[in-house]
Amino acid sequence: MQVSRNHRTDKTFFQLGLIYKIAALLVLLLWLGGCTQTRPGEADPANRVLPVEDSYDLPDVIKTLINQSDEQYLNQNLAGSLATLERAIRINPRHGEVWSRMAQVYLKLGNLEQAKQHAKRSNSVLKNNPQLKAFNDRIIATGSVESVH
Amino acid sequence: MTKPKNKPRKSTPRKKKSQKKKAKQSKIHSGLRGYLFNRYAFYGVILITLFLASYLFYLNIKITDKMSGRIWSLPSHVYARPLELYQGKHLTVKQLKLELKQLDYLRVSNRPTKPGQYRILNESHFELITRNFTFWDGKQKSQGIRLSIYKNKLSALHKLYSDETIPLFRLEPVKIAGIYPATQQERQLIKLDEVPDDLVLALLAVEDRRFYQHWGIDPRSIIRAMLANVMAGGTVQGGSTLTQQLVKNLFLSPERTLTRKINEALMALLLEINYDKSVILETYINEVYLGQNGAQQIHGFELASQYYFAKPLKKLRRDQMALLVGLVKGPSWYAPRRHKQRAVERRNQVLKLMLERGALTQAQLNKYTALDLGLANKPRFSSNRYPALIDLVKRQLKSDYDEEDLRSSGLKVFTSIDPLIQSQAQASVKRVITRLESANPKAENLQTSLIVASSQQGEIQAMVSDRQPDFSGFNRSLDAVRQIGSLIKPAIFLTALQQPQKYTLASTLEDTPLHIKTSKDVMWSPQNYDKKFSGNVLLHQALEKSRNVPTVRLGLELGLSDISDTLQNLGVTRKIPTYPSMTLGAFSLSPFDVANMYQTFAANGFNVPLKVIREVLNKDGQPLKRYPLKSNKAIDEKAIYLVNHVLHQITQTGTAKSLANKLSQAVAGKTGTTDDLRDSWFAGFTDDQLAVVWIGRDDNASTGLTGASGALQLWTDFFQHLEKTGDLHSFSLEPPGGINNVWIDGESGGLSEKKCLGAVELPFIQGSEPTEKAACKSAGIIEQIKRFFN
Repeated sequence: MQVSRNHRTDKTFFQLGLIYKIAALLVLLLWLGGCTQTRPGEADPANRVLPVEDSYDLPDVIKTLINQSDEQYLNQNLAGSLATLERAIRINPRHGEVWSRMAQVYLKLGNLEQAKQHAKRSNSVLKNNPQLKAFNDRIIATGSVESVH
Repeated sequence: MTKPKNKPRKSTPRKKKSQKKKAKQSKIHSGLRGYLFNRYAFYGVILITLFLASYLFYLNIKITDKMSGRIWSLPSHVYARPLELYQGKHLTVKQLKLELKQLDYLRVSNRPTKPGQYRILNESHFELITRNFTFWDGKQKSQGIRLSIYKNKLSALHKLYSDETIPLFRLEPVKIAGIYPATQQERQLIKLDEVPDDLVLALLAVEDRRFYQHWGIDPRSIIRAMLANVMAGGTVQGGSTLTQQLVKNLFLSPERTLTRKINEALMALLLEINYDKSVILETYINEVYLGQNGAQQIHGFELASQYYFAKPLKKLRRDQMALLVGLVKGPSWYAPRRHKQRAVERRNQVLKLMLERGALTQAQLNKYTALDLGLANKPRFSSNRYPALIDLVKRQLKSDYDEEDLRSSGLKVFTSIDPLIQSQAQASVKRVITRLESANPKAENLQTSLIVASSQQGEIQAMVSDRQPDFSGFNRSLDAVRQIGSLIKPAIFLTALQQPQKYTLASTLEDTPLHIKTSKDVMWSPQNYDKKFSGNVLLHQALEKSRNVPTVRLGLELGLSDISDTLQNLGVTRKIPTYPSMTLGAFSLSPFDVANMYQTFAANGFNVPLKVIREVLNKDGQPLKRYPLKSNKAIDEKAIYLVNHVLHQITQTGTAKSLANKLSQAVAGKTGTTDDLRDSWFAGFTDDQLAVVWIGRDDNASTGLTGASGALQLWTDFFQHLEKTGDLHSFSLEPPGGINNVWIDGESGGLSEKKCLGAVELPFIQGSEPTEKAACKSAGIIEQIKRFFN
């Protein structure tokens, strides 16, 4: 009897464990599902891309290239994103928004030195854009973009 | 062994016995001989078999080695920058026409219907259909576009026959050079399933009807060819199969010997044993020699299709395919551009054979034989247009690829070379060097270098290294290492201005005789160019007027090693000597080194090592390597702004003041002249473009030219043409944060006011402005009116 009871106790414990396991699995699945629902870039601050605001006085051709570069960035095509930004710089190197994005891509690539250099280049051509300057300054100072978002 | 006796003797029983014995012995002997013979023969056969087997084994290895590895050496190709089209871009009708010409586009009078065609309406509206092209970042499909050019600007860009605006479009880049294997073979590979069936049918009908039946050699074809040749009294038909032809082209020399024929047959058999018919056919289609373009050999049907018809193989008409197949027999004899009639006859022969094989109807045959050959203009894709630039491309590639790979891997190298800027640079060089020589009796046998780069990205756009730009020889831009003279001065003044607490543009420098004891106990007494001394000069004036003595004083005060450090920060990689005369540029750099140095001024203190390569793709169009833009903030932007301010003043009132009334856009730059007028330099820039010019002689003799009367003239001519096309953005005079403009007295450097006589406005790093006031004598009314308008 005792053995049998013990056995029953073990079985109950095992059953409880299984329920916990299933619950934990469900929680995990829900969490993973939640992650895939999140727009790319929201979980990781470095994935975020600054919007091309209408207030920026950018010609259409530069906006087109920035949007293309952002799309490549979000698709993890970082080399492509850099190449597209370089096209924009060839067309007009006087847009701080483009240099700043280059800094962001270099940051994502883990090349902190070039990220800082391009943030500095962005600052050197920026005009009346305190938000972007703060973004660049943050990269220059800390090598991070986290707190500016 | 005893010899058998020749004479027969009478036979007795004893003798009989003896004879029997002898006969037996003879039998044994002959048996032994037979045995030995058989044995030797056996060994002989084994040896021969072994030899043959080894030889076949060797041939087999030779075949499989080549077929399994890289069969052909594919040349690498170098491309110019793609022309970006967008609304607002500076572009003249002439420039777009030139670009399309270099891309081998065909101008048509009606609507363009095929890729590579364009038409112009009213000399300002273009309609074109672009070609497919694989860029580094992906494929771009052929597209119809229309664009308008108004007042040297692209005013509208739309899809063809639509109102849909296109914000940005890249034309495919011009192929400017090939880096060829030693054989000079050029080809474009094609897969068998992309080859039109009609071409295969025509090829087999003409060259090898029983291709799918034989095993590499075809006795029937050989007999048929022999009979045909005997009947004709000469060689009219070959009995070689496609496999034999391929073996001959790939593995054997063209000599006609029995040994080669035997090898050809053996290897053809081995090739058939080892490989499928489709592999053999595909290899043949890519291998066959079909023409000559200058030094380059045209191999394979795909390239031949591009070469003769400017179309891919799959887009050819059947009569055009027939011509290509006909060329296999003799590309020189039937060369369509030189021997049109022969080529037409040969094409028609092939078409008839196609009719026999059921590939054409009689009506189609009649139609095709009546057609013209339909040849395109001879393309220029193989010639090396810009030897100095291609030399630079090769040198920069060599850090990542060895020579063999460059010549054989079929790389596609995308560069920043701008054919439109290059053609302007070449024209300026030719024009100005001739002009200088005819205007100056002492100036003869001049040589030159002109380098043009983008200021902010350090991308080389154009480079000329010889007064005859097409001449491929000594690359002066890279290898002519010459003294730089006054080009050093901005680096010395920059070293000073990086210490704002000590030096400003208004600091006073002494311009009085100076005697320096050098390390060899020799006195060195530097002189100004005008051999005069002006007492005291302000720092900005010393640079503006390129005064030697104050510069040497300042340099010695700063320390030669600090100047050397500044040069390194500016991007100079050569070792700089630290002796006093280095302050006057008595050390040598190449024009390319100088361009690297001045790029840092042009980019406001960001050094970007000059490069010409953007990306490299492999032969299949897959990305291999990218050469990204990398910056290095080497110099404080405030200090560099102060120097750039003076470099701009040089082009207004200084040694390059002739520029002031020749260009409407603001520029900045510095002249350089060396002892005995051996070297004439000018380095100048706008926000977008930087150009360095050197003029000298290869024997280092005097040119009779200063920096201003020589190099500056060429620089000016080139930038005037850039300005004419609207492709020149002004040098920016806008100061960075932390700069204050202050009026100072032009003599003492003390604080002054706008209204005062001799007052000049100068930029200062915040906190470094002069504090002492100078006496103010009011400027005359005319001077004040001038200042008001300035």
